[in-house]
Amino acid sequence: MEEDTTDTIVEADQVSRRFGSIVALERISLSISRGRIFGLLGPSGSGKTTLIRLAAGALSPDSGTLRVLGHIMPNRETTAHIGYMTQAAALYPDLSLRENLNFFGALYNVPASELTARIEAIADEVGLSDRLNSPLQTFSGGMRQRASLACALLHRPELLILDEPTVGLDPVLRRSFWQRFRELADQGRTLIVSSHIMDEAERCDELAFLRDGRLLATGSPDALRVQTGCQDLEDAFLALAEALPAAQSGDRR
Amino acid sequence: MSRRRVLALAARIVRQFRRDRRTLILMLIAPILVISLLAYIYRGATHHVSLAIVNSGASPVAAQLVAGLTASQALTVKTMSAADASRAIKRNDIDAVLTLPDNLSLTGSTPQTLTVTLEGSQPNTSSAVLNALNQALPTTIVRALNPAGVPLKLNPVFLHGGPQFDQLDYFAPTFIGFFAFFFVFLLTSVSFLRERIQGSIERLMVSPLSRAEIVLGYMLGFAVFAALQSIVLVLYCVYAIHIHYTGHILLVFFFTLLLTIGSVNLGIFLSTFARTELQVVQFIPIVITPQGLLSGIIWPLSSLPGPLRILAHVMPLTYANEALRGVMIRGDQLGALWLQTGVLAGFAALMVILAASTLHREIA
Repeated sequence: MEEDTTDTIVEADQVSRRFGSIVALERISLSISRGRIFGLLGPSGSGKTTLIRLAAGALSPDSGTLRVLGHIMPNRETTAHIGYMTQAAALYPDLSLRENLNFFGALYNVPASELTARIEAIADEVGLSDRLNSPLQTFSGGMRQRASLACALLHRPELLILDEPTVGLDPVLRRSFWQRFRELADQGRTLIVSSHIMDEAERCDELAFLRDGRLLATGSPDALRVQTGCQDLEDAFLALAEALPAAQSGDRR
Repeated sequence: MSRRRVLALAARIVRQFRRDRRTLILMLIAPILVISLLAYIYRGATHHVSLAIVNSGASPVAAQLVAGLTASQALTVKTMSAADASRAIKRNDIDAVLTLPDNLSLTGSTPQTLTVTLEGSQPNTSSAVLNALNQALPTTIVRALNPAGVPLKLNPVFLHGGPQFDQLDYFAPTFIGFFAFFFVFLLTSVSFLRERIQGSIERLMVSPLSRAEIVLGYMLGFAVFAALQSIVLVLYCVYAIHIHYTGHILLVFFFTLLLTIGSVNLGIFLSTFARTELQVVQFIPIVITPQGLLSGIIWPLSSLPGPLRILAHVMPLTYANEALRGVMIRGDQLGALWLQTGVLAGFAALMVILAASTLHREIA
C-alpha cells in the first residue's frame, strides 16, 4: 500500500446506509488522521457497528463514499492493511489459539518464516503465552477478547478497527487494553474504537458522538467540552443529543 | 488467488474435523454399518432358502441330484409331489420348486435343462436360490456324476417379478456416492453455519480472502474426508463383503470427488437459508431423501412412474449412480460415461456459482 501523503487514514463523505426501512447511518462525514485513537461513542443502536463494518469493508454504503488508506471501500486489497476485531470473538473455538493465529496469519500473508515468532510475540503481548496450545473453547470471556485482539494485530495492520473491544473486561484488563492501544498509536497506527462507556472516551484523541445513525459532533474530548460547556463528557453527549431534533429511533442493524 | 490462503482454509477444516472424532467416526462407520446390514439381509439370508424338489420319475441321476442338493448347506430341501409343491409355493411356504424330468440322464449329447420355479416376489430370495443352485449343481454334483460334463442348465421360471442379479452388487456402487454426497453436504452446511453463527465469516469476508478462495478452500478441506470415506468404503465393499467389482478404482474416486464438489457448494448455498443446526437437518428430507429414493439406488429408474422419472433425471445422484455402477459392475471407461461426467461437472459448476453468489461479500 502506498503511503497516503495527506496522512488521512479514513475519510467518510456523506455516508448513508439503511437496512430495509431502518436508517442505520445518515450522511456521516468525518476524517481520521494517522496515529490517532478515534473513539466512536453512542448508545447501542446508534450506528457504531454499521460505521465500523463499513470501514472494515464488510458492508457497502448506500450513498456517499468512504475511503480507507486512500481507497474507496469496500476494497479487498485494502483489507490486508486493516485489523478488524468484531464484537463477538469470532474465532474458531475448536481450534487452539496457535491454530487460530496460524490461520489468520496465512490469510493475511504474514511471511511464513516470521509467523511462528510473531505468534509467540503476540501471545506474550496479550498475556496468553501459556495458553497457545489450548482450544479457545476452554478460554474465559476476557481471554477470548485478548485472543481476538491478537488475531487482529498479527499482520501489523496500519488501521485497527475494534468494535467494543473492552466489553465484559475487568478494570485491570481494560486498562491494559488501553495501554496497548496507546502504544500502537504511538507506533503510527490508527485505531477506531467503539464504546458506549464514557470514561473510555477520555482516552481517545478524537471522538465521534453517534445517535440514531446521526453524527452529533466530532472533536477531541477537550474541544467537545468547550463546545458544550460541560465538564463531563457524558453531559456533553446529552447536551448534544438534546439539541438534535427528535429523530426516528433507528436500530443498529 | 493465493494458494497459501486456500490451503490454510482447507487445513483449518481438516484440523477442525480431525478433532471432532465422533463425526469423523460416524462418517466412516455409518456407511459400513448400513452396507453390512444390507449384506446380511441379502446374502446372509441364503441358508433360509427353502426348495421343494419334485421328482416323480425313478432316474438314478435325479436321485443323486436330490441327495446332493439336500446336502447343500445353503438350501433347505423337501421333496414333494407336483401338486403339493404348486400349492406350497403359492402360499409362499417355500421359495422355489425344482422339477426334475422323469427320465433325467446325463449320458446323452444334448444339454439337460432343469426348470426351477421361483416364488419371485422377493428378488433377493430368488437370487439366493439361483446362487445356491448354481453353486450346488455344477461344482459338486454334476462333476461327480459325469466328469465328461454334459452341461446341465438351469431354466429359472419366475412366479412373480423377473430375474435379478445380486441386489447387493447392484446397491453397493451407489452407496459410495450416496454417503459421500450426504455427509459432505451435512458437514459443509453445518460448518458454514457455524462460521456465520460465531461471526468468523465476517472476519473472513473482510480479510484478503476472495470468494473463489473460500469456495476452493472449503472444497479442498472436505474433499479430504470424502476421499477418505470412499477409500474405506470401497475397500470394505471389495474385500470384506466381496462386491462385484471390475472397473478402475481411480474412476470410482473421480466420480465421488466430482459429486463432492457439487455437494460442498450445495451445503454452502443452503446453509444461508438455515439459522440453526436443526434447520440444516431439516434439509435432509428435502435434499437427500428424494435423491436416495429416486436416483436408482434401490429401484431402477425404468420402474418409476413417468413424472418421477423426469424428476430423477434432474438429480445429480442419478448420474453419479449410473457412473459408479458403470465403473464397478460393467468396468466402463471414462469415455463411455461422458454424459454422466458432463452432468456431474455441470452440477458442480452450477453449485459453485450459487455458493459464491450467496457469500454476501460486498467487496469489489
